Amino acid sequence: MSKYSIIGTNTPRVDSPAKATGRALYADDIKLPGMLHGQILRSPLAHARILNIDISKAAALPGVKAVITGEDTPKVKFGNWRLFPDTQDEYPLAVDKVRFIGDEVAAVVAIDNDLACEALDLIKVEYEELPANFSVDESMAPGAPVIHDYRPDNISLNRKIEYGDLVKGFAEADFIAENTFEVHAVSHAYMEPCACVAQSDDDGRVTLWTSTQVPYIVQCLLASTLGLRENDVRVIKPVVGGGFGGKMELRAWEFCAAFLARRTGKPVKFRLSRTDELAYGRRRHGMKLYSKVGFKKDGTITAKDFRADLDGGAYNSMGPTATFLCGNFGAMLYRYPNYRYNGYHIYTNKPPAGAMRGFGAPQALFASETQMNMAAEALGLDPIEIRIKNAMVPGDQIPDVATVSSCGFIECLQEVAKMSGWKAKRAACAESRDGKGMGVGCYSFISGGVFNWLYTQYTFSAAEIRAFEDGTVHLLTPATDIGQGSDTTLKQILAEELGLRMEDIRLTVADTSVTPQSDLGTWGSRVTLMGGNAVRDAAAKIKKALAGVVSLKFDLNVIHDIGFKDGKIFPVTRPDRCLTFGQAVHMHQKFKRGEPLVARGYYVPRGKGLVTPAFSFGAQVAEVQVDRETGIVKVEKMYTAHDCGTVINPMSVDGQLEGSIEMGLGYALCERFVMDKGRTLNTTFLDYKVPTALDMPPGESVCIETFESEGPFGAKEAGEGLVSPTAPAIAEAISQATGYRFKDLPITPEKVLEGIGGLRKV
Amino acid sequence: MPLPKFKYLAPKTWEEACAMLAQYKGKVRVMAGGTDLLIKMSLGAAAPEYVIGLKNIPGLDYIKYDQTKGLTLGPLALLADVADHPMIKEKYDAVAHAASVTATVQVRNMGTVAGNICNAAPSADNIPALMALDAEVTLARLGGKRTVKLDDFFQGPGKTVMEPEELLEKITVPAPLPGSGTAYLKISPRSKVDIAAVGVGAHLVMAGDVCQMARIVLGAVAPVPMRARKAESLLTGQQLTTDLINQTAAQAADEARPITDVRTTAEYRKTMVYVLTRRAINACAQKALPPCAK
Repeated sequence: MSKYSIIGTNTPRVDSPAKATGRALYADDIKLPGMLHGQILRSPLAHARILNIDISKAAALPGVKAVITGEDTPKVKFGNWRLFPDTQDEYPLAVDKVRFIGDEVAAVVAIDNDLACEALDLIKVEYEELPANFSVDESMAPGAPVIHDYRPDNISLNRKIEYGDLVKGFAEADFIAENTFEVHAVSHAYMEPCACVAQSDDDGRVTLWTSTQVPYIVQCLLASTLGLRENDVRVIKPVVGGGFGGKMELRAWEFCAAFLARRTGKPVKFRLSRTDELAYGRRRHGMKLYSKVGFKKDGTITAKDFRADLDGGAYNSMGPTATFLCGNFGAMLYRYPNYRYNGYHIYTNKPPAGAMRGFGAPQALFASETQMNMAAEALGLDPIEIRIKNAMVPGDQIPDVATVSSCGFIECLQEVAKMSGWKAKRAACAESRDGKGMGVGCYSFISGGVFNWLYTQYTFSAAEIRAFEDGTVHLLTPATDIGQGSDTTLKQILAEELGLRMEDIRLTVADTSVTPQSDLGTWGSRVTLMGGNAVRDAAAKIKKALAGVVSLKFDLNVIHDIGFKDGKIFPVTRPDRCLTFGQAVHMHQKFKRGEPLVARGYYVPRGKGLVTPAFSFGAQVAEVQVDRETGIVKVEKMYTAHDCGTVINPMSVDGQLEGSIEMGLGYALCERFVMDKGRTLNTTFLDYKVPTALDMPPGESVCIETFESEGPFGAKEAGEGLVSPTAPAIAEAISQATGYRFKDLPITPEKVLEGIGGLRKV
Repeated sequence: MPLPKFKYLAPKTWEEACAMLAQYKGKVRVMAGGTDLLIKMSLGAAAPEYVIGLKNIPGLDYIKYDQTKGLTLGPLALLADVADHPMIKEKYDAVAHAASVTATVQVRNMGTVAGNICNAAPSADNIPALMALDAEVTLARLGGKRTVKLDDFFQGPGKTVMEPEELLEKITVPAPLPGSGTAYLKISPRSKVDIAAVGVGAHLVMAGDVCQMARIVLGAVAPVPMRARKAESLLTGQQLTTDLINQTAAQAADEARPITDVRTTAEYRKTMVYVLTRRAINACAQKALPPCAK
């Protein structure tokens, strides 16, 4: 029997009933008295100088309450957080220049949305069109048009990781794989397009309800961009319908809503359409990856030289972090004794790329996993065995960057081989000529980032617990549930700690003026570990106070362990001497002469390196059937073995796994932006092909439970990393099935036929 | 973009609908399920002053079958009902299948086969199957009607021979002949819930292993759904052999006039015409109804 009551049990999501019945309130559901509706005018050109903007006709339209351009704003740049001010390159509304089709130029608010749309057509912008760059190669060419004056070479930044001796490492190699890979941009395709409502109070303070993953970062950046103090801005996260990295910055409409609410004195709503999201929205970085890896005959890796050119689009967005992390993930999974990474983030005249589930890992790992498969083939080794030979183990380091603590990677590889029947089935696929293939891909991922919040005075996460004599508690947490299930997970953690039931916990989340400061938000799979640790820290303080009450009440020797279970508090060796949780709170308050029992907890990772407190690991096997006539790939089955530390909610982990496979499937096979000179052509779900539930293959999975000492109850990352192994596993399976090696994504039917020479000439 | 303003007209009888159409000629669009029209309007691709909704007219969603007259579909016959109809599944397999793979469950529950025809997208799923079966449509106007074969109905993407004051009154498909087999096959990036990148409808009448009649219709490879007439003629009167089928499929690919667009490339479309035509001919031959005597 488990030593835990709730940890490790299938616990339904606390938000499911509200979502299933339609009661859940998203940002767009918020309606305030007198609320105005906003629309944003976007650039129709990929690169142009703004010569003049005439808003007079729009402003004169009855019902229009305000029209603003960049000239009306304080002209404060925002972007990739304040830690790296030199990378902040975006104004909320364009000043002087536009840099992509969709760049925000002006904003309108009117008494209804139709009028706001009508007013947009009345704004006249004179542009001087400039030559533009639509690819990394174009931007890097000598004499290419300059997109930002401060970066004449169009390289917004260069991130490096280097250790060991590359020359020596490659000299020791018997086989060197040297390849170029190309991976593409894809959409987050979250269910809820962005929306926000802003309200200004009599003192000019602003409240913003917004569909975001990062309320505290929006608060910080919005305050500086508006010229306000942080405490003058309150950001509230309503129910959010997914983010996947696409909602982790301050965005133009959030600024415009707040600015225009202050200017008009009325609440202001902005909402994006799906077409806005697909045509102009953030996306995963497309990259060109150059990778050279040395191997000894027995498969041992000797060195890796890795370069990534990231297609950043017109602004940095979260690109600097993606550039760094791509190099970090390029060094993960295996022991690369000598390693060099150069990541270049390059401006192009396209919609900016930003953070997206995996944050540099899907790209880096597509290259490194495909190269492992190629090396196995070249050296006559089994792809899983060559991985086991090089696999990271606990204690391994990326010098000066990261340390691996818990790590069940080898166990994952062994387990996935066993559960998929790898050896026999893979051999059978190799024998058959009927389009069957089997491939493996692996991942490692972070449990929250340490970078980016360094050098700030903020804690990484926080929690406040208020205890009541009716046996309930109120948890206030800045943690931001955007659909991943952290409200449920944090409640589980607190219920386990205090021996309460889920329904004994009232939850208030992600309201920057109410929940304790601070939290970086939801990204990088950080909430379970960091938010969970903050909850445990607060819970420990409550427990200490109440354990004292029980000790006093029963005159217990101080060496007794005090247990919290089933709503009771008791010495572990004498459970009959117990108080209920409520009785203990009652007595504590009486003893404290009425002072409420409240505790605050915090979490700051220490001594864990630059990257993360804990890494997850996993291995995945894909079985595919390729129709060699149509090039269509059917993924028949996915097997996954993953190490996410202690599993807190198995059904939630399963959901993350399924969602990851769905996203990985789209990345591998069918999702892509069709672009023509900076214009996105497929701007609806009719032509932006996200796989549906009907495309999902059956799967089997096993959690390899390690104990992560830095995580709450031993838990670590469980949802984001899994998006990475799917594409390389499927690509390897297709390569086995067709005999053609795919080094770029997505592997569309057209590419399959082109690869195997099956296309007819027009 | 918000849906532009328009006046919605809801006639209660067919005659009233015809009269409204004549009255507002040129400023009006007709809507059955609205699954295409309303989206076009919200994308700014159509901006009629009036929209006539047919759903208040009772009895237009009929599906009838008569041994001599064949199949008749009313103008509001739902995709979902056609897809599920036992008689259509039995006798016009390709028609039921095409309806069943059109768009999504939600669209099939609102949208109609007639709407899919009138919308005249080159990629429409239902057209290749119906055209392969030599279907015709009856067009009605105030005080008159005419019948047009689907073969002669389409003029370009979104364009048909329908006059502004005409309504599609019914779709008629001839009764299947003994030995008749039909198929509709499509290719799309997603396995389900997707628009065709290429579609092929075929109808063969077999006498033993001899093909007496063949119709092959290609979707999404030309401005209109098109018959591959030279390919058809290769089959007619011939014994079906693997070589002949391959040759016919190659001929169909030659006849296709695809373009490269957001969905796929011209090369891929041509290749798929070859593959799907071959598969469709084989499927027709296998599914052929009880043969007539040799």
